[in-house]
Amino acid sequence: MGLYIRPRSLGIISKPLERDDDLRTSICCLCNGGCGLKVSLDHEGKVQAVFGDRDNPYNKGKICAKPMEIVQTLYGPYRVGHPLRRINGKFERITWEEALKLIAQRYNHYSQENGTGSIVGITSKIGGSYSKLAHSIFSKLTGMANYGTGPICMESELKVRKDIFGNGSASSPLSDVIKSKIMLIVGNNCAQTKAGQFHWISEAKQQGTKVVVIDTRFTETAQMADRFIQIRPGTDTVLGMALLKIIINNNLYDQAFVSEYTNGFEQLAEAVEAFTLKQAADITGVPRNVIEELAEDLAVRKPGMLFEGRGIVCVNNAGASIRAFEDLMAILGNIGKPGAGIISHINNYGNARDLIPKKDVIKPDRKRSATALYQAMEEGEIKMVFIAGNPCVNWPDSRRMTQAIQGLDFVVSHTLFLDDSAMLADIVLPATHWLEEAGVQASVHRVLQWKDQAAATYAESRSGGDLFRQLAKYMGLETSYFPNSPQKAWELERTHNKSIEGITVERLRKTPGGVHFPCPANGQEAERLYESSLFPTPSGRVELARKNNIAIEYINVFDSPGNQGVSPEKYPYLLSTNKVASHYHTICQYSNWAQEMEKQPYVEMHPQTASELGLTDGDPVRLETVTGSLVLPARITFSVPRGYFTTQPYFGLHSPYRQTPVNSLFPVAVDPVGGNFANKNIMCSASAEGRAGQ
Amino acid sequence: MSQFAMLVDVSRCIACKSCSVACMQENCLHSSSWIRVRGRELLTDHLIKYYNPQSCRHCADPICLAVCPMGAIQRGNDGLVIHDIERCIGCQVCVDACPYSGMKIMTNGKVGKCSFCSHLLEINKEPACVSVCPVEARIFGEREFLIREAGLRIKNLLSRGIKAHLEGADKESTTVLYLSNNTSRSNWLVP
Ligand code: SF4
Repeated sequence: MGLYIRPRSLGIISKPLERDDDLRTSICCLCNGGCGLKVSLDHEGKVQAVFGDRDNPYNKGKICAKPMEIVQTLYGPYRVGHPLRRINGKFERITWEEALKLIAQRYNHYSQENGTGSIVGITSKIGGSYSKLAHSIFSKLTGMANYGTGPICMESELKVRKDIFGNGSASSPLSDVIKSKIMLIVGNNCAQTKAGQFHWISEAKQQGTKVVVIDTRFTETAQMADRFIQIRPGTDTVLGMALLKIIINNNLYDQAFVSEYTNGFEQLAEAVEAFTLKQAADITGVPRNVIEELAEDLAVRKPGMLFEGRGIVCVNNAGASIRAFEDLMAILGNIGKPGAGIISHINNYGNARDLIPKKDVIKPDRKRSATALYQAMEEGEIKMVFIAGNPCVNWPDSRRMTQAIQGLDFVVSHTLFLDDSAMLADIVLPATHWLEEAGVQASVHRVLQWKDQAAATYAESRSGGDLFRQLAKYMGLETSYFPNSPQKAWELERTHNKSIEGITVERLRKTPGGVHFPCPANGQEAERLYESSLFPTPSGRVELARKNNIAIEYINVFDSPGNQGVSPEKYPYLLSTNKVASHYHTICQYSNWAQEMEKQPYVEMHPQTASELGLTDGDPVRLETVTGSLVLPARITFSVPRGYFTTQPYFGLHSPYRQTPVNSLFPVAVDPVGGNFANKNIMCSASAEGRAGQ
Repeated sequence: MSQFAMLVDVSRCIACKSCSVACMQENCLHSSSWIRVRGRELLTDHLIKYYNPQSCRHCADPICLAVCPMGAIQRGNDGLVIHDIERCIGCQVCVDACPYSGMKIMTNGKVGKCSFCSHLLEINKEPACVSVCPVEARIFGEREFLIREAGLRIKNLLSRGIKAHLEGADKESTTVLYLSNNTSRSNWLVP
């Protein structure tokens, strides 16, 4: 496999797109921005282009590059069109029936012989609402334990927010930012990661919302902000605590809100005494007057909002930082009001209940954390894995993950592309793309939007919704629990989940931009959570301290999981990954256009770090951590601090990029509070790699 | 009809490169987008970083037109500079001549450049890059309107301590106007 080109471009003349006027409406299902799309099909019915939908109130016709790039991958050579079976190391085409029969037989075999816990799902890319529901029904009927996006993306954020407010979801829509007086963006480069929705922030700024960005890198978002505060990697907790301290000690918090609606204020006030402001300034590298000014701003400018990103979530001391900043919003009373609250791409609307009678529900016979998964695979406790995603690229210590999967008895991959993980499978099943599946998509505006199927399914691909129902049949399970269409799935979900009962497909179809949730049977939608100051925690109040009564416990990044016991002499630097606008997870790497935008991954470093290492721009540099090493070209920039390296995490060996996944440099280590894997701030060494010709 | 133009506001660009990809999609380009977004950074007493989307500016007096030995480049009454790929022999002298990095070398060995999506203008649509830009760093409209809008934006930037200027409005008139930061080329860290 190699590069592929659109045949039309081979000609001498590339002509502009031939438009059809019959555009289909869809919703982008990439970053949870929920941008409205218009899809153009060619005469064969294939998707040829994607535009922004001007009628969608949230993106008003604007989109980022990603959904356009995605179109290129739909019919490219890496797309899987037929079920494949590995025989003697080679893939051979088989029928769906053969594939399902085989999987069913193996599944039942392992389940009976080795217990339900011998089969797990690694399922971060399960598909739309139809597929998700079928997957959850299947898991309930079989006792399959699943590892979704949680550990690699947002587990810590979800867990900490749930502890504080009782619900891990965003409390407010992004669109509220135009009503806020200050917007705090922490470790979040949304100008790149949610570019299609960034106009909300730029509009807000033009209307007078003060945009403050806290980050280690001088990001594109920081560039657009009114104020950028560059912080030392992994020290966000201390900044958050210092802000809390100033606000508490000067009585700048919302006293009525704190006394009426919160618990644990004393513990919080005690915890933030752990550092003096001078110490905080020394640790974070943020001058004391800048911290004081920000605290002042937050106290005066109300309502205010918080938008955290992977920069403080996918780190080994995430839980403490998230708590510090969210507690901060809480004591300022920035919750449950227009223009106040927490923005997030986490948009859980709750699970459907009682879909299956208790007698048919099987619980997994073993529970394992995401970290324990590796060992359980290596030691043969796990026999079979069902993959929908690309763990060999996006899970930490990717090389170990790859070897662990290789050692299993039986691997199934339901996938769009023959990626690094699918290449290890015994059975590869072709999955439908989100443009080929109808369903409901949540967005950062706390709305649910409906999309119809925009394009015909590619070759023999099937959605997770169909796959799990059919597999259940071959396994001899009760299939009547499974819906057989996206519409029916939503109807079933809606009628078994009180928080979305009022959101029918018809209503979604009629409402451009969708319907906010929760929206119970009476049809009343809630734009933001907690407007009634009722918090779904056990006490009904905001919990400012953790259950152990310690509000916030800062752990130095060098003493955090993954760095504990690592020699600072041998590994004196820190390595992180960061996102760029043209890539999303591991799927855009199959697009030519994405490749033109990002020719190859590179490692950003400060000019002084580069000169210490004897490097000039573009020179190869070897980065090494306790789990592995990798050579990348150097990109010299003032945007990162000294002694810090950052690169892009999207690439695998089985793609036009042919890159060793950078996640192989990150050890299997989780944030002790929230359970998120870290793909930032891991200790590394760096050296100039021999140049060509030497 | 009064004259139309495009305003590219460098101060607003967030480097999402949506314009660049939309250009390839609209013009069916496999690679070599007619817009390239380049990062700039320079260190004064503080770090200045911005992005410069480079594409043809559709000059009133195009140097590419002057140097092309084949007469493959023409300027129409509407102010658009159009490159005729059938006449182009791929000598690429225009690529070097263009001060704005507007001419791109294509995979077929010839050159290519922004057509201002003239095929879209004909059906009353705005250029593809403008239609996707999430932050109004690229806007399309009447020239006079855009010059006024640029003036407002410059004033607004100045109130926040950022000096910027408009390129292409008068003397070296171009159909694509650039609102640029006042920085000098020699300071760029990444050339
Ligand atoms: S910003 Fe997000 S939702 Fe919008 S088009 Fe880009 S990837 Fe899709």
